[in-house]
Amino acid sequence: MNTFYATNLLIYAGVDIIALLALNLQFGVSGIVNFSFIVFQAAGAYAAAVLSMPPDSNPDYSFQIYFGGYQLPFPLPWIGGAVAGGLLAIPIGLVALRKLRSDYQAIALLVTSIIANEVINNARPFLNGAAGLALVPKPLQDQVDTQGDYYPYLLIGLTAACVALVWFVSARIVNSPYGRSLRAMRENELAANALGKNPVALKMTIFIVGGIIAGLSGAILVGYLSVWAPSTWQYPETIILFAALIVGGRGNNVGAILGALLVPVGLEEVTRLMVHLNLGPPNLIPALEWVVIGLCILGFLWFRPEGVRPEPRRVFDGGPDVELGEGVHAT
Amino acid sequence: MPPEHPMLVATDVHRHFEGMHAVDGVSLEVPRGQITGLIGPNGAGKSTFMAVVAGTLPATSGRILLEAEDITRAPAYARARRGLVRTFQLPSEFARLTVLENLLVAAPRNRGDSLFGALMGRRYWAQDEERIVTEARSLLQRFGMSAKESDYAGTMSGGQKRLIEIMRALMLHPRILLLDEPMSGVHPRVIEQIQYYLQVLRTEGLTILMVEHELHLVEQLCDSVFVMAQGKLIGSGTMASLRRQREIVDAYLVG
Amino acid sequence: MRLRVLVLSLLIFAAAFGFGLVSMSVIALAAVGFTMQFGITNMINLAYGQVMIASAYVAYYLNRAGVTIWVGMIAGAVFGAVFSFLLNRFVYAPFQRKGTSLLGMVIVSLAVSLMIANLLLPIVGYFSVSYEEHGGSLVRIGDVVLTNNQIAIIVLSVALMLGIHALLRYTRLGKAMRATAANPTLARNCGIPTQRVIDMVWLITGALCGVAGVVAALNSDSFAIANGAGFLITALAAAVVGGAGQPYGAMIGAVVIGLVTELSAAAWSPEYKEVVAFGILVLVMVLRPQGLLAKRGALAAAG
Repeated sequence: MNTFYATNLLIYAGVDIIALLALNLQFGVSGIVNFSFIVFQAAGAYAAAVLSMPPDSNPDYSFQIYFGGYQLPFPLPWIGGAVAGGLLAIPIGLVALRKLRSDYQAIALLVTSIIANEVINNARPFLNGAAGLALVPKPLQDQVDTQGDYYPYLLIGLTAACVALVWFVSARIVNSPYGRSLRAMRENELAANALGKNPVALKMTIFIVGGIIAGLSGAILVGYLSVWAPSTWQYPETIILFAALIVGGRGNNVGAILGALLVPVGLEEVTRLMVHLNLGPPNLIPALEWVVIGLCILGFLWFRPEGVRPEPRRVFDGGPDVELGEGVHAT
Repeated sequence: MPPEHPMLVATDVHRHFEGMHAVDGVSLEVPRGQITGLIGPNGAGKSTFMAVVAGTLPATSGRILLEAEDITRAPAYARARRGLVRTFQLPSEFARLTVLENLLVAAPRNRGDSLFGALMGRRYWAQDEERIVTEARSLLQRFGMSAKESDYAGTMSGGQKRLIEIMRALMLHPRILLLDEPMSGVHPRVIEQIQYYLQVLRTEGLTILMVEHELHLVEQLCDSVFVMAQGKLIGSGTMASLRRQREIVDAYLVG
Repeated sequence: MRLRVLVLSLLIFAAAFGFGLVSMSVIALAAVGFTMQFGITNMINLAYGQVMIASAYVAYYLNRAGVTIWVGMIAGAVFGAVFSFLLNRFVYAPFQRKGTSLLGMVIVSLAVSLMIANLLLPIVGYFSVSYEEHGGSLVRIGDVVLTNNQIAIIVLSVALMLGIHALLRYTRLGKAMRATAANPTLARNCGIPTQRVIDMVWLITGALCGVAGVVAALNSDSFAIANGAGFLITALAAAVVGGAGQPYGAMIGAVVIGLVTELSAAAWSPEYKEVVAFGILVLVMVLRPQGLLAKRGALAAAG
């Protein structure tokens, strides 16, 4: 029981951190209001599932209808999930990334994710509709006993490796001149354009990169859960992630990680604790969690919109002494 | 300055939008190495014309040549890379970047300014970065803003933001600078500063096309002037010669 | 003038098909209120759908206590009016005054929408409910078969649309509303009490929202909290298609959306009815954000 709890916590933490690092690249750094983010994670999960599962003609799997079923071994499903996320970013990006007022863009992307969810929910032969996919193979299950004592540690280790990789990539992007150009585009796209930056190329690129990372997070999650259905990826999930960025602080990776730990992970744990301690009727508590999330969003937007750990100010060596003030943080 | 080929040639440029002819067939040549003014009453289409030349807005018809290179179809960022840089009438600094970062963003040749370069890590682009930091710092020193390098650009005063925009544009080593009312809403002392710098830049060979309302500034700074009204070009020449043309005086110049 | 001819011909076209009339009526009620909220405060109120549902539940509980749905509708309208007014006064307006960005306001209204839904859930539960109001006898008009309730809905909707038209055209309040929507600073300088006008708009549109919720619930076999998003997006689609912020545009948008969704349900499959409306919304927002009809809307979306 203890290992299970710890495993659950760590894997979800890892997946959430990866997802938030991706969203931070898209939204925090580049200003793209990707309110359809969850669809990319879902694409990765479905792709990983369909790549690793046997075909639905297989007797154990015939209760589901889905396309694919290539039974590929690890790590191909995870790579496939990442690729799927990246590929999906292309059509969505081409349609939704044009110059549009930010609230329209957010809503257009949000509704896109609702459409995707509805379509997959209803189109049964495609990905088994509302029931979703089950019995998704776990990574390395042919080589290692997934019920054994050591398997959880293996999975946690793989997840941690992915977190490290994504953190590495994110940090390199954010702390480079490229990251600086992205931030400039976020601040004033017109001015950035007038200074030689191609906003379309910048946005599409980072949208795809974010999509790849989001897809990876989905692949990891589905490998752990072994199930994936439309109910897992509804539009409020994206809102949780945005809430996490608002709370933790956007534009910087530390803020993103902080947000991941405070919001999706933190609130889930508090909820779990409350249910465990019987602090209220069990059906009331998940609803209460959403109310708390809503209050957090409103509270932070009112009192501290820059988040717990705001984007740091970048100071270069060899310049005049820095005067810190007005709640500004040096690197 | 001996007149050579003009830096910029606009031929019969039109900009129509939703039934309005903001720019209605403007043809002009911007002489190299001079400060040229673009004046006219409110609503004459000056800012729209500037936006079309800069590529921020597409021309409905007409041609624009930058030193004999046809840039009519080029998007704004491409024109900037080829040496045609504009500033904006409203403050357009990158607010949550520091003053130094604002200048660094503009620098064109930085190996770290691509996804590949970023992923390669600091060592790949450290040298380029050092070079442009040095260049940016010398610009800051020239314009007297060295002390502010690590302040957020958004916290700067109006005049300082103007200077940042000009410095930013200069980081691109432009051939021609398009300034949209660089002196409007700015403290008189900063106006003097900007005037001084523009004149220095002219002696260094930079071509400048400037929209400006304050006619005495135009008189002091500009070698020659184009006058627009209602989307059309109604006159050109020195301020003195324009004052002698009745229609122009009537249309616009009040003394 | 051209607008009215257009509306008329579209309505005739629709009448010839019959189905869709009811849909149009329901959507129009929701869309007009929604778009007017946007027009006067530049606020895309994403909590609108949830307020509709909440009002529907108010009528539901009254209905269970034996009150007829037509009286319950009034209660729903009152609830919607008061709730929307308070929402703007104590949440939206303060955030806007603080200078919150457009995107920030979207997040605020999303947060509010989630909170409303989840505060209601423990009270009303997850499962669908329906009104105890039998459709009534069937009426045949040419090829079209409608229930008494459906006819009542159409009549009610047309009456309220005419009412809004009269309000905007002929009353002082209506003129003040149009002036404030077009240019609030100018309106204030002309002596219009913009704060009170805005409050009135939220009361009126809130009432419309309440009625729309009850009507939408009445028109469905059953409803639940989960329907909130669908209601919202359909209203949003109609509003955007007709040009955001323009009440007449919303009416036309409602005709378009109502017609297209019913046609697609009949010709294609009923499961995707709402999805078609969602798809139209995304396409219009992305490809022609000022709407199919607006020439230069007061609050048209641009860069």
